[in-house]
Amino acid sequence: MSASSSSNACKLLLLGRGMRATLLCVAIQFLLLTVFLLSVNFTLLHPLAWVTGTLGLVASWYTWFASIPLVIAVVLYGVSLCQQHLWERPYCPTRYRWLLNHGPRKLLFLAAHILVGFLTAWLYTGYLHTDYQHLRYKCYGQDCVSAYHVYLLGMGITAGICYFASVHMRHEVSIEFPIVEQSRGERLRELLYASLSRSLFRSLLPTISYTLAFWLLGPLVCRKLSHFLSVDLDERLEGFFGVATNVRLLFYGWLLTAQILSNMHLMHCFYGMLLSEDIPLVVAKQRAPFVHEQEVTVVAGLGVFNVYVVQCLAAHYFYKLAWRKDSTQRAEIYQLTEPGNRPANWRALCDQCLSILGSFTEELTESMQKISVLKGAQSLPVPPKTIESTNASLMAEKLLLRQYNQMHGIRPIVSPAQEAAVERPVNGIRHVPNWCERVSTQIEGVLQRLLKRVPGIVYFFNEQEGAKTAYLLTNSLPVVYISQALAQVCVASLKEDRYGVVQNDLPAIIKALNKLQGELQKLSSVIGSLRAPSTAFNVLHCAVRRSLYNICNSFGDYLGDLLPPGEEVRQLQDLIYQE
Amino acid sequence: MAALSNLKECPPLSTDPNLTMRQTHSPELKRYPQIRLNSELMASHTAAGQRFYGAQSFLPVDEGVLKRITRIFFDAGFWESLEEARGAKSREQAPLIARAGDLIAQIMGLVNGLKLKIFPHTQGLSAERIAQFVETGDWLNSNVRCLAWHLHIFKLAVAGLDDVVRIYTRDSSTVAAAVLKSPLQTEITCMAWRPLCSAQIVIGCRQGLCFWNVETAMHLGRTNAPSQIFRHPASLPITSLQWNKDGTQLATTSIGDRSVIIWQTDNGLMQPLKRLGPPFSLLKWSPDNEWLFAATVDRVFRVWNCHKRWTTERWVCNGGYVQTACWSPCGRFLLFVSSAEPILYRLQFVQMKLGDSCSSEKEVLPIADLNACSTGIDGNSALIGGPAQQMAWDPHGNYLVISFKSTNSIAVFRTYIQKFEIKISAAYSLSGETAAERPSFICFQPLYKENDRSVLTIAWSSGRIQYHAFD
Repeated sequence: MSASSSSNACKLLLLGRGMRATLLCVAIQFLLLTVFLLSVNFTLLHPLAWVTGTLGLVASWYTWFASIPLVIAVVLYGVSLCQQHLWERPYCPTRYRWLLNHGPRKLLFLAAHILVGFLTAWLYTGYLHTDYQHLRYKCYGQDCVSAYHVYLLGMGITAGICYFASVHMRHEVSIEFPIVEQSRGERLRELLYASLSRSLFRSLLPTISYTLAFWLLGPLVCRKLSHFLSVDLDERLEGFFGVATNVRLLFYGWLLTAQILSNMHLMHCFYGMLLSEDIPLVVAKQRAPFVHEQEVTVVAGLGVFNVYVVQCLAAHYFYKLAWRKDSTQRAEIYQLTEPGNRPANWRALCDQCLSILGSFTEELTESMQKISVLKGAQSLPVPPKTIESTNASLMAEKLLLRQYNQMHGIRPIVSPAQEAAVERPVNGIRHVPNWCERVSTQIEGVLQRLLKRVPGIVYFFNEQEGAKTAYLLTNSLPVVYISQALAQVCVASLKEDRYGVVQNDLPAIIKALNKLQGELQKLSSVIGSLRAPSTAFNVLHCAVRRSLYNICNSFGDYLGDLLPPGEEVRQLQDLIYQE
Repeated sequence: MAALSNLKECPPLSTDPNLTMRQTHSPELKRYPQIRLNSELMASHTAAGQRFYGAQSFLPVDEGVLKRITRIFFDAGFWESLEEARGAKSREQAPLIARAGDLIAQIMGLVNGLKLKIFPHTQGLSAERIAQFVETGDWLNSNVRCLAWHLHIFKLAVAGLDDVVRIYTRDSSTVAAAVLKSPLQTEITCMAWRPLCSAQIVIGCRQGLCFWNVETAMHLGRTNAPSQIFRHPASLPITSLQWNKDGTQLATTSIGDRSVIIWQTDNGLMQPLKRLGPPFSLLKWSPDNEWLFAATVDRVFRVWNCHKRWTTERWVCNGGYVQTACWSPCGRFLLFVSSAEPILYRLQFVQMKLGDSCSSEKEVLPIADLNACSTGIDGNSALIGGPAQQMAWDPHGNYLVISFKSTNSIAVFRTYIQKFEIKISAAYSLSGETAAERPSFICFQPLYKENDRSVLTIAWSSGRIQYHAFD
């Protein structure tokens, strides 16, 4: 199966899961409505009537018809969320590129949030007291704009915007594998409890902020609406005390915000939960007739670079397979295949993993060269070999001092030697630029400086320091799983690999892991000053260290045979026997 | 039911000349660090006694009552200032303030009492209560509170009564031990080295979990701090912890919490496994990580199947609570002893395959009687047995070691693990150097390349660490 067909098969599978998640989101609307109605219609003295009345309301024809707009909005929201999960994640070096790539999708998603918030508020107000139910109400025989209704509708929109701003605006949606893999029912139950209880607290600040804003701007909005609808003005919510003393309205507003926030959080989690479930992958394709043509191998899954979720799922599958006790699929990795009795399964898997690890390390190294602190450390003059041993500590101290100065923006008093600027003459002939070249270079420099002074140019068109590193670290989950899985497969080969298919690749695997570990070690000193996610870095660094430790601890006696004698072997031995 | 194995034929080690001879002439044990924590503890106490405090050279000043209470409030918090307000000196100088303090204390007491009636599990966990449920013998007064061996290299961590963890290596006799000490690390109950890491250890204490990266240059006198501190979500002390075998998940319990918490320490995430019932006290992960045993402070204990979506099985013992438990090295058998009766029980986790059907019959069976009896033939020698304190199974699965709450000797059993059965028989007993020495903590050194022999490490109440090698 080619890469595109694997990608399509996986996308199709995930699309099915997305549809199931959408159905779950629709179903949860009715549950949340029931919770809301139980809260607002609570009567202590008639509990039976309270429950039956509420359930009757939820099951009524009115609810079914009135909830159609909300259901449509939820489906739109789900489609947008699903699209974001399955979308390719390109690197955007500048804010301008980010706006171009993500802007339309983010705007659409914001609109979906506003729509869901507004329609939830509209649906829920329909069950409240007549004062809250409609935009127009009879006030002393006159038609008036209901300020209560406006307040609640505005609250719904605000809650939607708040959730979008806090969760989705700056961050990409991503799946999180659960720490403990419980059954779906148990996870749903825990998610529901946690979400409902947490949103009660999380909704406090948006409610208070919105109420303050409504106190200031609400009358203006109501006035405009009354002009627009040619009706009278409702003056019940004018003035601070008019808003602050209306406890029932505030309670409804708070409850509505809590419901909307938990609704959106639940929808977000449902997609994450269903998409993070294991996908049916295989190590080796069955060659027998009538077998499922659509089956996807782990290698093919790992190679779906354009759908991050699929790559994560394949890596996670590989990780679980590597650590499982008595895994038959792990045994398939070490098997020889026909024709030719070659270890085709291991060869494909190892090559794919090494390719991913290698390209990640390469990109990381390249991105780190743009970080000024690290660049400064690298541009230190290399000491002459004769005094290397004596000056090692001095050099290390200088290096640290330079890193510290650069990190805190301390400039050297003496301008650095312009070694790099002086071009080395080729064949002893030094090129002297003519006046035309000199003038054009100067004009170019002046133009660049001028352009940078225009407000917003640097902000929108300049690449931030460490942006590529941050991007790589944010999307490093497959590398986290692959490194650990590959190391464990090598370790398990000591007992399970009867044909010794793994041993030839051990040096390459150890070298790849050690190279990545070295780069991450370099990065660890400056990660605090970058905008890179420190948690993602920590997870990756720990995983790579553990993998290296695992493999070196198991093959510790053979390190000398696997790798050429030198600094690398000593480093690895230090890593194991750090006493 | 067949007769249970018991301690009547459990002679002291000294009565078997062959075994004693082999013990005294074990060359590999001579390279182990000689640890006597009591001398180090006494040295630190003496040093502290002789320490010069700057405050001694200043004369006390007369502060007003309000000023004093305010200062104490900012120095030591609300409760200390309330105590000061109700103290004899304040009562003499300002009786009105003292009476106000009494009133506030009464109101706080009423509120606290009401809260405890509604939420009994939120009561403060005293050191005595912690001591009741941890595996360490006489945890409150013992010089050694916990031991932990590194899984891959020769490193032994010893937690002392002084809340200091000392790290010993092979050459610790010549080089001073590394020391892990922090004001944020008090009342240590448990600790464990992280698997697949050479230098990370996690310490469970009153403040939560302290993670340390043990560097070679960490010595006494240097100010250090844990690399990370994780607090329990309800700010409760940690009473038991265990890493999974690849070091990615850390399971912890607290005797005030009804959930087992699984931490992913690299990204700081955690997931509680909530269950109705009493709080959890003790955790034991099976060697292959398939099962997670969790005892509670009551009769109930649970076993999670980690490979089958973390489904759980609930078990109830006859009385008391599970005091100690251990898994067989093969992960098929769990042994445990409850606090109520000195009987060793076995729980079997073997899947029987009959054709295509697969069944896992699990039942709790008693396998050894641990009632106290005399070890000698004449009847005057030391007693052994009674309620168990701690258990440890050697990594080869040939010996089971049990320490007791009320008697000072350690019982060694021989075990024979078969596919569906284990056989157990008393072998001999181990005693301290003096009759007063009691075992505080026992554990086996893990097996690795340089060490393929089972070595039992015993921390005695005196602070002496003893190594006992098995065949």
